[in-house]
Amino acid sequence: MKTTRRKFLSSSGAATAAVGFPSIIPSSALGNADKPAPSNRIVMGGIGIGSMGRGDQGAFLGKNDVQYVAVCDARKGAMNQAKAKTDAKYGNKDCKTYADYRDILSRDDIDAVHIATPDHWHAQMIIDSCRHGKDVFCQKPESLTLGEGSLMVETAKRYGRVVSGGSQRVLQDYKGTVLRCWNGSYGKINSINVNVGPMSQPCNLTPENQPDDIDWEMWLGPAPWAPYNSKRCSGSYSTSGNSWRSYIDYSGGGMTDWGAHHFGGATFAVDVRELQPNKVILDEKDGKKFVSLKYSNGIEITHNKPGVGQMHVGRDNVQREGKEVPKYAGNSGISGDFIDCVKTRNKPFRHIDYAINSMAVPHLATIAYRLNRSLEWDSAKQQFVNDVEADRLRNRARREPWQI
Amino acid sequence: MLDQAFEALKTYKWGVDPKAIKAIQDTIVATHGDAAARKDLESKLAAVLATDAPRAAKDSVCRFLKTIGTAHSVEALAKLLHDEELSHMARHALQTNDAPEAVKALVGAMGKAPKKIKIGIISSLGARGTGVPIAPLAKALADKDAEISTAGALALGAIGSEEAVKALAAAKATDANKIAVCDAMFQCAENMLNHGKKSEAKAIYSTVLKIGPTKAAKMAADIGVKACA
Repeated sequence: MKTTRRKFLSSSGAATAAVGFPSIIPSSALGNADKPAPSNRIVMGGIGIGSMGRGDQGAFLGKNDVQYVAVCDARKGAMNQAKAKTDAKYGNKDCKTYADYRDILSRDDIDAVHIATPDHWHAQMIIDSCRHGKDVFCQKPESLTLGEGSLMVETAKRYGRVVSGGSQRVLQDYKGTVLRCWNGSYGKINSINVNVGPMSQPCNLTPENQPDDIDWEMWLGPAPWAPYNSKRCSGSYSTSGNSWRSYIDYSGGGMTDWGAHHFGGATFAVDVRELQPNKVILDEKDGKKFVSLKYSNGIEITHNKPGVGQMHVGRDNVQREGKEVPKYAGNSGISGDFIDCVKTRNKPFRHIDYAINSMAVPHLATIAYRLNRSLEWDSAKQQFVNDVEADRLRNRARREPWQI
Repeated sequence: MLDQAFEALKTYKWGVDPKAIKAIQDTIVATHGDAAARKDLESKLAAVLATDAPRAAKDSVCRFLKTIGTAHSVEALAKLLHDEELSHMARHALQTNDAPEAVKALVGAMGKAPKKIKIGIISSLGARGTGVPIAPLAKALADKDAEISTAGALALGAIGSEEAVKALAAAKATDANKIAVCDAMFQCAENMLNHGKKSEAKAIYSTVLKIGPTKAAKMAADIGVKACA
């Protein structure tokens, strides 16, 4: 029988009392202004708990209004470390471990999950989480393909879930540029440039002996089958062949990995978070290809434009009225923003709509580079205009039995 | 360069540098708009699928055919649909192939496919969205196996047509497939709403509420009903 959140927590308490703890109820159980009672905390689990997941877990574990109860990873070592970290925090052995994230989602007592798997899992897990009524904090880049982006947005909206992307740099790394764009001091803005790369590459690494520590089928999930190789699944931040971030089946490469931060920052600075580009112009200057992505409101985001600096803002000396810069809810960064929004049901700073719109930029640019031509994108229909081949690159078949 | 790449494809095993076959991708890009060159390229690629080339080679061929495949390569890809190792990559190419023959191949392979492969085929049919017959998916939805039934439901939801709604409404939702059936009906309702058919959408949400949805689906139905107002 499934347990309710309240029943789960109270049964944990009952078990504690039964082994001889004093009957005086500690203040931590009753809660106070700084530390809410367990029944009023957001109950969370973590999925993909290695490198970035470890950091996210730490952020959520550190919040008094979060009760962290479960971890899941395809790697036993990472999972057990995460359990030990949780148990040490609470002084018990209660954190449950799962090899399959669906077992976390089936727990009625869990309100929200954070996801930090490789990118090829994000859409599947976000959509499944929403269908199970969970709120989600998912590391960037939120989408691997153009097509899955709109499915994530629709599902989050359908179930009324709070779904936040996980790029903390969007707000924190470009403060000066963002402020000058938003407060009007830059005047009328025409463009912004992002320099980032490379794109991901095909992977055909040599098979290696698979360690016992990893559930390879679960690591691959909806991605094409391939033999184990430590570089194929390494969580290193490299995008030059030594990590999953280098390879097409799991990532868009630096273009989407760091690109999620940069394009997220750019779309925020010039305030096109609610839009997607409608033209993708492939151009060449000084023998170097670059892409200009044009929006219906006249704004242009350029990628790797020769001679133009990172986050350089093109502008006219036309006065423009300023507006207040959006900020995180709560007071503890992007993870605190998410938790605050889980409680208030407001849109988080990197709301999934904004995340997907910003991720559309590198995805569109990548398809233009790969096909070596300019493209038109109908964002309302989520398809290219008169370009069947480009349309084919919006989606990938999922390896059975995965389906969204 | 292209001939060398095709030669390399014959022995392209895991561990070989992908640069050995890069000329094929380059040719795909360079021949955009050149129907004759594309047909020739497609024929050569499809022919590799019938050889004893390594798995990695056929895997790559399917990736190439995803971009340029037409009715011409469907038969060669269809022969891989029951191959446990290559079924997924064959679907990778067929799922986005616009030719009606691709749908026929996928539907034709459903019947005798082992369970896991059948689920994959159902998923690909759903992902196509249009031009897919509803009857085989409705049959999958009615399957006693919960995973096949779930796959059928999600595929019907992705298609979202009035015919798909009828199949879903006629389905018996069980504890094992209820989340998928409800989600599929929501997708159909949203499709109706997008076409201004508010009363039809509202009827779908009412149907969901009658089948005893999960807490999450109940909330989604309530959101949907409000959107129909």
